Amino acid sequence: MSGVVGARRADARGWGPLLRGLLLRLAGAVFVLWAAATLTFFGLRLIPGDPAQALLGGPGSQASAEALAQVRAENGLDQPLILQYLAQLGRLATGDLGTSYAQKNSVLSIIGSQIGGTLLLAVLALAVAWLIALGLALWATRGGRIAAAVGSGLEIVAAAVPHFWLALVLVLIFSTTLRWLPAVSTSGPAGLVLPVLTLAIPLAGFLGQVIRESVLDALAAPFTLSARARGETENGIRWRHVLRHGALPGIALSGWAFGWLISGAVVVETVFARPGLGRTLLNAVQLRDVPLVVGVVLVVALGYVLVTVLTDGASRLADPRERAA
Amino acid sequence: MPLRHRSSLLVLAAATTASALLLAGCTADGAGTSGGGSAPSTPVAGGTLTYATGFGEPTCLDPHVGGNMPQALLGTNVLESLFSQDAEGAIVPWLATGATPSADGLSWDVALRDDVSFTDGTPFDAAAVAANVAHMKDPATESSTAILALGKVTSVEVVDPTTARFVLTEPDSALLESLAQTWLAMESPAGLARGMEANCEDPIGTGPFVVDSWTKQDNVTLSRNDSYNSSPAGAAHEGPAYLSTIVWRFIPDPATRFAALQSGQVDVIDEMQPDNVVTAQDAAASGGQLGVLTGALPGASIRLELNSGYAPFDDERVRKAFIASADVNPGIESLFFGTVDRSYSVLSSSTPFGASFEDDYAIDTDRANQLLDEAGWTGRDSEGYRTKDGARLTVDFPISTNQSIPAEQSLFEQIQATTKDVGFDVELHPLDLSSWYASLAAWDFGVTSAIYTKNSPDVLRILYDSANIIPAPSGYHPNHSHVSIPELDALLTTAGETNDQAERADAYQKAQKILADGAYVLPLYDHLQKIGYSTRVQGLSLLPTLQLPYLADSWVQQ
Repeated sequence: MSGVVGARRADARGWGPLLRGLLLRLAGAVFVLWAAATLTFFGLRLIPGDPAQALLGGPGSQASAEALAQVRAENGLDQPLILQYLAQLGRLATGDLGTSYAQKNSVLSIIGSQIGGTLLLAVLALAVAWLIALGLALWATRGGRIAAAVGSGLEIVAAAVPHFWLALVLVLIFSTTLRWLPAVSTSGPAGLVLPVLTLAIPLAGFLGQVIRESVLDALAAPFTLSARARGETENGIRWRHVLRHGALPGIALSGWAFGWLISGAVVVETVFARPGLGRTLLNAVQLRDVPLVVGVVLVVALGYVLVTVLTDGASRLADPRERAA
Repeated sequence: MPLRHRSSLLVLAAATTASALLLAGCTADGAGTSGGGSAPSTPVAGGTLTYATGFGEPTCLDPHVGGNMPQALLGTNVLESLFSQDAEGAIVPWLATGATPSADGLSWDVALRDDVSFTDGTPFDAAAVAANVAHMKDPATESSTAILALGKVTSVEVVDPTTARFVLTEPDSALLESLAQTWLAMESPAGLARGMEANCEDPIGTGPFVVDSWTKQDNVTLSRNDSYNSSPAGAAHEGPAYLSTIVWRFIPDPATRFAALQSGQVDVIDEMQPDNVVTAQDAAASGGQLGVLTGALPGASIRLELNSGYAPFDDERVRKAFIASADVNPGIESLFFGTVDRSYSVLSSSTPFGASFEDDYAIDTDRANQLLDEAGWTGRDSEGYRTKDGARLTVDFPISTNQSIPAEQSLFEQIQATTKDVGFDVELHPLDLSSWYASLAAWDFGVTSAIYTKNSPDVLRILYDSANIIPAPSGYHPNHSHVSIPELDALLTTAGETNDQAERADAYQKAQKILADGAYVLPLYDHLQKIGYSTRVQGLSLLPTLQLPYLADSWVQQ
């Protein structure tokens, strides 16, 4: 059905290039993880604040010299920073994320208990953002000049609103005034609605803008003309041809969106009092809980790498040109 | 022999008289406790109360470890102390029945109740008190607050099962006040023996509730202790609590916390913002479903500490010029909507022996200008700030965004604006908690605002004794103002050692006068505990010791 011009070449070169591509990708992923861990480690240690205090009940602790010396020695905090960094890197290389200074619990188990909530939030927000963006793009490209202007205006406003502001406005409308939805997270699905909307609406604004652009491009493309000439209905054109094109930049953007959603989760989880990685990260940074911060950042970076691979795969499915490459 | 000891003990003066009045006197709506309105007031047993705190989630529920406000808040309903305080701050018995000092003040015999057990069945006795003090003083416990409060205590001897003897290195008039704090609460020795990890998850006390479960970043669930028999003096009823369950939620954002209260998702919230207090009070006045309970946290008032150890505030004239130009009253009125009163005392209004010196804090810009001229800050740069030898009159002001609510941060901006009129360049630095403590530790500030909650005027010794300029090993030095005056040290030592109340009062009065005259501190207002509640909740009150919500008398109208 594709209107793409150009022959699809069979890959006759065997597994070599594929393997090389895979290795390159793996090396890239390792580099991303190393860079994330390194930047986080030094970033956290170069700003003011003493991680030893996280070990002793938080900032402003009046711990004794003995207690401080003991925790510094136990955790290698009395070593030069570069040695601490290498030691941490060595532990990370063996898959050991270490123990949280403040929570005295393994970083892996803390992340394990918090990651579910954040992933659920991110996946639902991404799905809802796609629904809103596609709906808006299809409507705005169909309804003439006014609909296009309104659609584009909505997208810009949605993309521009800060999470914390949107969260509070939604709470004011749906919890305080209408009393339809809970203001803070609950065990049931009702508590998810406002956090998901808070994350999804700005994202839908971004996605909508790029999708609408490429839908317009596709509508003007020759293959659309030929499809029309074949007698395809307007709906058929949109669903079978245009959407595929329109979705491509959106899919590419979804990899970026994942990282963006995690940073949004810091705000949303705090405002809606939801357990999750974002809130864990915020608390850990405030306490200078180095192992926990590095652990969360690594897990998020790993997620980012995986999502990028997935979005590449999805692009290939949607775009036959990439399958040949 | 227990009887002999008990008969020889001084039974504390306030012990019997204060009881019924205790929990009153800490409310803003004048009803004594919540739900004083039209609702029927027959207690209902059973039910769940959801409490949403903005103070944060402890990393460990055992308040011996570290020792901060979130731990004390939750601990108040699980753990109990040897002593309690009445609304005037006087010591009353709780798990102890009385206490008497030795003639030299170097030991205190504390008589204990013989009919109380911890919720794991371990009996509460002198051995338990000794085990608790040993636990708090053990460096491995990583205590910060309790170990400091027990600084003069060397150990506790078990005289007999109901008499614990506190052995001191020097007399300590604040000992019983220290022991009244939740950070020094009594926990089951068997519970402590489980080790830090288990005890942090589930500290075992004698209180009206026990910790059931803790879902991190979400809630702690408490359930009723059915064999509870140690209500504090002033409690509305004896015996087990009415509520069967308390869900203790952590909701960091003040706006959502209030929205959750308004929409009925939670029953009680703390750390209300001033505008929400007004909204709730307006709603209550028009027959709405919300109420507000307030109490001044004991200890120091919220105040600006001027760093007198370093330029420019090492010059008393510059400090006086700052205080004479920092016009805070209009800001307090407009930003706090009348929810707080201006304080002219370094001590909170709920702490005994506070002294106000309003005249020392009068606004007088002419005098401020004159003082700065005298101090040699005679130049003016292009932006209108005063200069001396080419250096600008800059005052760095690190602000803890964890401790200072938005209204307070706005007040600091107004101080920045009014002191600019006489040529001060106040630079506000909003910082997270770790960075803020780091800048304090480095003396890298001209002025700052720090909270210190303690149920005793002895907080003055912690904050202004020259010994506390020397930082703790962590870098923390409570004497942020860098006050070093031998006469003040002597007064604070006397006040801290004497058990003669008149002598104590006199010494504290003189000490506060020295602080006011030397312009080391600018008091702003009391640190208010602001509790919002749904009128479904009845019998809510604040336990006076630290002005923390006490829920054993509460019930929820179904």
